[in-house]
Amino acid sequence: MVNNNHRVIKKIGFTILVLLIVLFSIFPFIQMLSTSLKFSWDWGNPSLVPTEINTTAYSEILGLGEEVEIEIPASVQKLLDNTPNLTDEQKNAILAKYTDTSDVFPFFDYFKNSLQFSLTASLCSLLIAIFGAYSIARMKYRGQKIIQRGVLFVYMVGGILLLIPLFKISTTLGLTSSEGGTTFALVIIYIVQTLPVCLYMLGNSFRSIPFSIEEAAFIEGYSRFQTIVRIIIPLSFSAIATVWVYSFMIAWNEYLFASVFLKSYTNMYTLPIALKALFVSKNAIWDRVSAASLLTAVPVVILFMLIQKFLAGNKTEGGVKE
Amino acid sequence: MAVRKLTLQEKDSRLGIKLVLPSVIIIALLIIYPIFYNIYLSFFDVKMNGDAFFIGLKNYANVLTDSTFWSSVGITFFFVISTTFLTTVMGLVVALVMNKKFPLRGLVRSLVLLPYVAPVISTVYSWQFFFDPVNGIFMHVLVDVLHISQSRFNLISDPKYALWVAVVFSMWKAFPFTYLMILSRLQTIDTTLYEAAEIDGAGAIRKFWSITLPELFFVLGSIVLLRFIWNFNKFEEVYLLTDNVKVLSVYTYFKAFTGSLDLGQGSALVVIQFSLLVGLILIYVKKVLKW
Amino acid sequence: MKFVKFGICTALLLFSTTFIFASGQNEMVEESKSMDMMEPVTIEYWTSQTQTDRQSTIQLLIDTFEATNPNIKVKLIAVDENDVTSQMATAANSNTLPTLVEGAATTMVSFGADGLVDVDANADVINSIGRDKFFDGALKINESSNGEAYGIPFHGWLQGLWYRTDWFEEAGLEPPTTWENIEKAAKYFYNPSENTYGILVGTKSENFTEQCFTPIAQSNGASLYDKNGNLTFDTPEMKEALEFYGRLAMYNPPGPQTWRARDYYLQGKMAMFFYSTYIMDDLAIQDAAASSLTSENFSDLKGSQFDPELASHTAMVPTITNTESASYGTIVSLSIIDQGDSKKTEAAKKFIEYLYQPNSYITFLHMAPGGMNPVIKGIADTDEFLDNPVLSNYGKEALAEIVAGMQDIKSFGIVDGMKIEKADQVTAQQIIPQMIYKYTQEGLDIDSSMDWAINEINKLN
Repeated sequence: MVNNNHRVIKKIGFTILVLLIVLFSIFPFIQMLSTSLKFSWDWGNPSLVPTEINTTAYSEILGLGEEVEIEIPASVQKLLDNTPNLTDEQKNAILAKYTDTSDVFPFFDYFKNSLQFSLTASLCSLLIAIFGAYSIARMKYRGQKIIQRGVLFVYMVGGILLLIPLFKISTTLGLTSSEGGTTFALVIIYIVQTLPVCLYMLGNSFRSIPFSIEEAAFIEGYSRFQTIVRIIIPLSFSAIATVWVYSFMIAWNEYLFASVFLKSYTNMYTLPIALKALFVSKNAIWDRVSAASLLTAVPVVILFMLIQKFLAGNKTEGGVKE
Repeated sequence: MAVRKLTLQEKDSRLGIKLVLPSVIIIALLIIYPIFYNIYLSFFDVKMNGDAFFIGLKNYANVLTDSTFWSSVGITFFFVISTTFLTTVMGLVVALVMNKKFPLRGLVRSLVLLPYVAPVISTVYSWQFFFDPVNGIFMHVLVDVLHISQSRFNLISDPKYALWVAVVFSMWKAFPFTYLMILSRLQTIDTTLYEAAEIDGAGAIRKFWSITLPELFFVLGSIVLLRFIWNFNKFEEVYLLTDNVKVLSVYTYFKAFTGSLDLGQGSALVVIQFSLLVGLILIYVKKVLKW
Repeated sequence: MKFVKFGICTALLLFSTTFIFASGQNEMVEESKSMDMMEPVTIEYWTSQTQTDRQSTIQLLIDTFEATNPNIKVKLIAVDENDVTSQMATAANSNTLPTLVEGAATTMVSFGADGLVDVDANADVINSIGRDKFFDGALKINESSNGEAYGIPFHGWLQGLWYRTDWFEEAGLEPPTTWENIEKAAKYFYNPSENTYGILVGTKSENFTEQCFTPIAQSNGASLYDKNGNLTFDTPEMKEALEFYGRLAMYNPPGPQTWRARDYYLQGKMAMFFYSTYIMDDLAIQDAAASSLTSENFSDLKGSQFDPELASHTAMVPTITNTESASYGTIVSLSIIDQGDSKKTEAAKKFIEYLYQPNSYITFLHMAPGGMNPVIKGIADTDEFLDNPVLSNYGKEALAEIVAGMQDIKSFGIVDGMKIEKADQVTAQQIIPQMIYKYTQEGLDIDSSMDWAINEINKLN
């Protein structure tokens, strides 16, 4: 009986702990959800439950709502009427562009851009780092120690002072004058920001794999490459997945570099730039900002739910010890 | 035989170099140049149109004689040490909990990642909404519902609490990453170790101290190192949430980037910050990680 | 060896995919360019108007301009005012400067001081529009101490003290035009246990705080510099103004506050607040929000004292009076950036001249009615300018008052018609807001706060 009671108490304690952790993690997101569903007249109400549900923020951002009729201000009409040499055709084209509200906040385009940048950068970084980390962890050559210790120094310079010289190089090389070059430059920059951690973490992980397993593979006639692909990668899968998550997130949430490099390429804007653009509008926008914030975070969480299997585990390597 | 072995080894080390080369080239090109560029600029008074006038060590003197600078060094140390400690402990606790089986574990594991994956700017705003002195639910419950506090106060911005709020926020934002790293290491711990310990009659606490912690030592060491470096240069989180916690990066921002941009001054600050950090890290790497 | 090649190949493959998805879009751009017969000059125009609706108005103006000037292309890029300095520095460093920038006059002055601005081109534009058509103060704010044109005044907003007329009437209080009336009302309406507050004055260390403080200081005859450029900060007038400001800050909502707290006013939790005329637009939105309320869900609205008729219960005091009268406003300017390319400069001149033609000018101003006010004569009282729902709401007289304020705009940077560039630097470094933060929030005493500021100001020179 005592034992049983004890177990129940333990279980309740554990459940409370889990609940506290979850609550601590998500309370600001509950706030976000609440704000996104409130009408603006309800923002002064401290309750997290909206007095009345307002979904216009979501439909506007996702482009689901019916097209909002844009009224043409008198001043605009007058301007067009009084511009000499303006053909009706031109006039109509200009007005059509003005009243077109379909791209107020093209969330899906931003989302696609962010996904492209993040996936490309994180996968490249991972690929380069797997081989690099293996080399650092397992092979011996002159300079190996220096490289091993040197990689982390990348993080000791940050922000805007890295930005100016890097943008300068990119323009000198002519990269920033085309969309392709800009993409290339930005992807490389994201790679360099994530590479050191990837090298470092993967190196640590590879070192924890007993050398005896590799030796056995060599005896069976595996080359280094085959060893990496067939032994090292599967055995370090959870470390690789964690590192990938990290690289992905760096590119996903990066603002400073993207804002400078993509400034003149509106169609390539990533989500953080778009979010910032929403934020700096001084009008009543809290519902839209909150909705956009949630819509930015949620897909990533879903993505993680899907890959959790990999994050969760190396069940195969019961025999691996340090 | 001996000759053949040598060539094999040579071949192997050449291969090693080739494998690491892409990483080295990318890092060298993109990082080494900016570092030297900054060191160079730090001796100049740089105008925005590119004109630069050599002024020797004046940029450094400006900073080192400023008492605000030294107080921000202190604040930075407090911020970095406390956030690193709290983030690691929180990450460890959460990882241990998530390593146990319970219903809806998959969902919980994902929800816990939310602070890490959401953009800083949106989390900052929702924290500010939550703790808003006039409209926030927190003050409403504290003052009007539970009557714990007599009057409403500005938890996030008030200079009395600002540093602590910045610490907790930074911990909140970063612990999921720590938890992920620890969890992935936890899952590789050989379960037979625990089984053997149980046979010896070890309780949960003893198992934690004598098996889990030693097994995690290396990963914890790495996390602490990375977190230390990252938080030392942390700007966005601290600045956006509450702008009067003057850690070094915020000090740099005010000193060199408010109004017009003073690149020379900024570079000097970065070089100082860099030297401080490198010194610390070298000690840490040598003494703690024996790396 | 094989796997090295494999690795390199995969990496290349991944990089090239990024090229492909981007270069496809690129070709389309090229094609549309070749449609025009002549090779056009393209100029970049950076605007601080980041809101999408405002951008589409500017784009409409550009489209119309391009239709009549087929060999000039104007590329509109929105740059947030907080990012503009770093964006300009990066651009200057990499020879990618824009041809035309729109932003606060103080920003233009700092760009000018850094040698980025084509002052001759700016002067040409001012002269061709007609120097005497601009408000004098607006021109002055954009000038260097030697009278070089760092910017061309484009539009401006006035700051005022906005207040609840219905509350004031009910309490029998005078409108908050004088120090005495402001303090009395702030004290009267400050009721923290009911979660209502008397006033909003900026107390965070950011620009808004200086904007609130400036008219208070100037209405007491305090200034940063005299007209010869001598520092006049350490005076009893300045000390009195700071003391008064500190007393007002006690009737603020809790903690350091900035412009964002104006939401409390919109929610009926605050009696007065300093704000620019941009709020006129927001109040109109509030009006629209009110129309989404049906009477039935409004009756049981808890926790919120929302007033659907807020806009009509709001009035503005543009001028603060104590020993003198003072108002505060900001000019937003255009500036031609020195790129060393006369073709671009000429194109920019032509485009700016187009923007100042009455029809295009009014179209521009109407994208933020109330917030954007004319800085050239003969616009404000035209029927065309008043033909706007927000503006006509306030009526000709109220607008005339605002525009009169624009004509006589004051700042620490202008003393007796003399431009004091040093004062702009003090503003740029946010020394006054930091001092106010120390005094009102960190509990530093008044003398130490002022000493701190004097010390910082002296470091600048």
